[in-house]
Amino acid sequence: MIERIKDILNEMPGLAGWKIIRQWVESSELFFVGQRLDMNRGKKVEHYQVTVYKDFKADGKKYRGSSTTSIHPTMLSDEIKRAIGAASLAATYVKNEYYPLVKPSVLDQPSLRSGFSTDSRSAWLPKLSEALYRADRYQQGRINSAELFLSQIKKRLVNSAGVDVEYEKYRGELEFITNWQEEGEEVELYKKLDFSDFQPALLTSETEKMLEMSREKARAVPTPILNNCPVILTGDSVEEFFNYYLVQSAAQYVYERISTAKIGENIQGSKVKGDLISLKLDPFIDGSTESAPYDQQGFPLRPTTVFEKGVLQRYWGNQRFCHYLGAETTGEINNVVIEGGTYPVSTLKKEPYLELLAFSDFHMDPLIGDFAGEIRLGRYYDGEKTVAVTGGSISGNIKEVQECMYLSKEVKQNNNYIGPESLKLSNVSIAGN
Amino acid sequence: MQVKISGYLLKQKPLIKELVTKLTEKYGYVSVLGTDTSGKSYKVQRTGIEVNDSRWVERGFVVRVHNGINYSEYSFNQLEREQLDQLITEIERVVQTDVKTLQAAQIEFNQYPVIAEEAISDSFYGEIEVLPDELSPQAKIERMSALKEQAFAYSDRLIDFRVMLEEVHISKIFISVNKDLEQSYIWSQANLVPIVRRDQQTKYYFEGFSGLKGSEILTELAEGYQEIIDKAVSLLDAERVEAGIYDVICSPDVAGLIAHEAFGHGVEMDMFVKNRAKAVEYLGKPIASKLVTMHDGAATVKHVSSYLFDDEGTLAGDTVVIEQGILKSGISDLLSALYLGTTPTGNGKRQSFERKSYARMTNTIFAPGTDRLEDMIASLKYGYLLEGMMSGMEDPKNWGIQCMLMIGKEIRDGEFTGKIISPVIMTGYVPDLLKSISMVSDQLELFGSGACGKGYKEFVKVSDGGPYLKTKARLG
Repeated sequence: MIERIKDILNEMPGLAGWKIIRQWVESSELFFVGQRLDMNRGKKVEHYQVTVYKDFKADGKKYRGSSTTSIHPTMLSDEIKRAIGAASLAATYVKNEYYPLVKPSVLDQPSLRSGFSTDSRSAWLPKLSEALYRADRYQQGRINSAELFLSQIKKRLVNSAGVDVEYEKYRGELEFITNWQEEGEEVELYKKLDFSDFQPALLTSETEKMLEMSREKARAVPTPILNNCPVILTGDSVEEFFNYYLVQSAAQYVYERISTAKIGENIQGSKVKGDLISLKLDPFIDGSTESAPYDQQGFPLRPTTVFEKGVLQRYWGNQRFCHYLGAETTGEINNVVIEGGTYPVSTLKKEPYLELLAFSDFHMDPLIGDFAGEIRLGRYYDGEKTVAVTGGSISGNIKEVQECMYLSKEVKQNNNYIGPESLKLSNVSIAGN
Repeated sequence: MQVKISGYLLKQKPLIKELVTKLTEKYGYVSVLGTDTSGKSYKVQRTGIEVNDSRWVERGFVVRVHNGINYSEYSFNQLEREQLDQLITEIERVVQTDVKTLQAAQIEFNQYPVIAEEAISDSFYGEIEVLPDELSPQAKIERMSALKEQAFAYSDRLIDFRVMLEEVHISKIFISVNKDLEQSYIWSQANLVPIVRRDQQTKYYFEGFSGLKGSEILTELAEGYQEIIDKAVSLLDAERVEAGIYDVICSPDVAGLIAHEAFGHGVEMDMFVKNRAKAVEYLGKPIASKLVTMHDGAATVKHVSSYLFDDEGTLAGDTVVIEQGILKSGISDLLSALYLGTTPTGNGKRQSFERKSYARMTNTIFAPGTDRLEDMIASLKYGYLLEGMMSGMEDPKNWGIQCMLMIGKEIRDGEFTGKIISPVIMTGYVPDLLKSISMVSDQLELFGSGACGKGYKEFVKVSDGGPYLKTKARLG
C-alpha cells in the first residue's frame, strides 16, 4: 500500500514533499462486570495518514503549506488520487512559514522492549485478568467493573526527504471502578492505568490501593470549610499540575505567543522559597506506552533537559516549531521525568494539611495556569488527628503558588511520568461544606 | 440539498450480507455495522493555517456475534471477497478460540440471550443548505481569515483569534438477518477563540456553533464576534469567587452541561447493569423540582446527534428522563436492555467502528418553562449569572457534580453590578441542585460543538442545552 501511495504522490504535480504514516494495530479487549466477563472483542486495523507539502512565495517570503488526509486500506487508486488531490489543493491555501522536513538520521535508535512480545495476546489476557482480580478479596469492597485492552502496534514513517523508519510497541490499558460500603451508601472510585510491559504486581497493587481508598471514601466526612490550609496533591493530579510547565516550554506555544517563557529565566520567578522544578523529557522510559524512538515527523528522539532548577534550558517540539524559533529540534517526546524535592512526604505532613488523593477531574489549564477540581477523597490533618474527607473543591492559579511549592522527595512512575509522588501548595482556595 | 450515502458502503453491502449469512449458519445472532465518515477541519489563527482530515474520519466494520454465552465483537477495515474466508477465520478466533482460552482460565461469563429483531428496512438522508464540497477550501480559508483580521482590528488586547471549522459527513449501514438500514447526514461545528493579554495575564473565551448543517455555518460566525472578544477582555478584570453557596442563574449552555454531566451520565443504563447508578433507587420518585422536565434522544430535536438508527441498529427515540420532577426512565443501549429486560432507547453509540458500543447520550435537554429571563434576573437578591461551559465530570454512583465554567456575572438586587468572577467551579449533590430549581425560562438553546467521553475515553458526538435555570449552587 505504501508503494502504491508513493507512486501516486510522485506523480502528483506541484508537491514540495510528502509524509506517510502507516499504523497497524491488532488488539484484544475484555469487558468485565464484577468478575464476570461481559464481552470480549478483537480488532485488526491498518491506517495510513498522508501529509502533502506545497511551497510558495508571497511578498518575497517563502511559505510551506501542508494538509493531512486519511487513506483507508480499502480505497482504490482513483479514490486515493482524489483524496491526495484534495489535500494538495487545500495545502495551496495554507500559508505557514517555511520549515524543512526531517531528514534521515545516522543515529542508531534502540528498539522498545516488552515482555508482551514473547507470547500471543490471547495468552496474556488470562494472566492480566488474574493480576487485576488478585486484590479483589474483601467483603465490603470489590472491583465493580473493568476494561482490559492489549494492543500490538506497528508504526512506519516515510517521507520524501528519505526518512524510512519503523518500530513496534505494546499498549496495555486497564480502566476499573472500585466500590466500598460501610454503614452509609456504597461509594466508588475510578482509575485508568496504561502500561507497555507485563507487570502483574503493578496491576495488583493499584487495584489494592484503589480498594483501600474506596474504603476511606466510604468513611469520609464532608470536607470542612478551611482557610489558609496547605494543600498536598497526591497521585494523578500531580502530573496534571506539571502539565503547565510542559506547555509553557513547548516551541509551538512560544511561537504562537501563548507562552512568554524565555530561555535562561526561572519560570517560577525570582523569589522562590520552595522547591525548583527540574524537568527532563525521556523517550525511552521502560513500561511507558508513550516511549518511542521517533516522533510523528520521523525525527530520532533523545533524552533532553527542559528545566534545571526552575530555569528554562531549551524549548522542545517538532522540527517545524523549533525551526521557527531557531531552536535545536528535540522532537515531540511524551515521557516526562521530574526530580524529587527536598523533603520526604513525612516532613511535608508535619503541620496541618489537606491531602487530596482523588478528584472527579482535576484540571490544569496549561495556557493560563488556573487549576481546580471537585474532591472525591482527601485526608484532613488538623494537627492532632487525620480524617478522610469528600466533597467540595479546590481552585487556584499556578502563578500564585509556584514560589512556595514543595515537591516530595519520593518519586513514582505512572506510565509516562516519573516524578514527585506528592506536591504541597499554599494559597489554594478550598470550598468546603 | 440531500446528503448522499457513501458509495463504498453501498458497494460492499452484498458482501456484508454474505458475511452475515455465512456466520449465521453457526451463530444465533450476527450483525455488522459499516461506517464511512469523511470530513475536514480548518483552523485559522495569527501564526498560521491548518487544513486536515477531521478526527472523526473512519472507514470500517464491526461484526457482533452471539458466541453461545454472550457477545463477541471484531473490528476490521479490510474487506475483499477473495479474503472473506480468512476474515471469518479471524472473527472465529475471537468468538471461539479466545472465549475457550478464557473459559479454560476459569473466568466466568455473564449470559445474554440471543437478540430477537423485528424485520426492518429503512434509510435516512440528511438535508443541508450548502454541501462541504460546494465551497472550496480557498473560499473557506478566505472567509475565516477575513474574520480573524476583523477581530484583530476590533481589539488590541488580542494575542490570537482562532477560527475553527469542522465538517463531517457520516454514512452508516447496519446489516443483520432481519435488518437492513442505511443513513447519511452531515453535521458541522465552528469555534471562535479569542486569546487576550494584559501585562503578564492571559485569558481566553470560546463560543461554539454547531448543528446538522453544512458550510452555511460560516455565516453564523460573522455575527457577534465582537461580543465574544468583549467577554474574553472582561476576564482580565475577573475576580476569584469567595467559596460558598449562591443563588445562581445558569445560562442555557450551563444548563446543558448540568443536564449532561450531573444527570445524563447517571441514567445511562449500562451503569444500571454494573450497579453504578444511583438513579435506579429513584425511578418513579421525585428527583427534581416540579418545574424540571428532561429529555434525551436522537429524535428529541434535530441536532448533531440526531440519526435514524444507533450503532446497534436500534431506531432513534425520544426518552423522557425526568417529567415534572419525577425520574421516569434511563437511556439504554441494546445489550443493557437485553440484560435488564427493558426496551432499548436508541442510545447505543460507538466512538468509531473500532470501539465497543455503550449507552450514551444523544441530544440531552431540559425542557423550557414559562419564566422570562428578565424576571429571573430581577428576582435575584444576590448571586451570579453563570455562562460559558468549559468541562464537567460525571459521578453516576454518588451524584456529585463538577462543572467548570468561564464566567459568573454578579447580580445584586436584581441588577448586574459589572463584577465578573472567573473561573468558576460549581459542585454539589445532584438532587439538591435539581430540587433547588425555582425558575425556568421560556427559551431553548442547544450546543453541540464538543464531544462526550465515558470516564476518560470513548468520545462521541452529543448536543445538550436547555433554558435559563434559577437554582442554588456551591461555587468555588
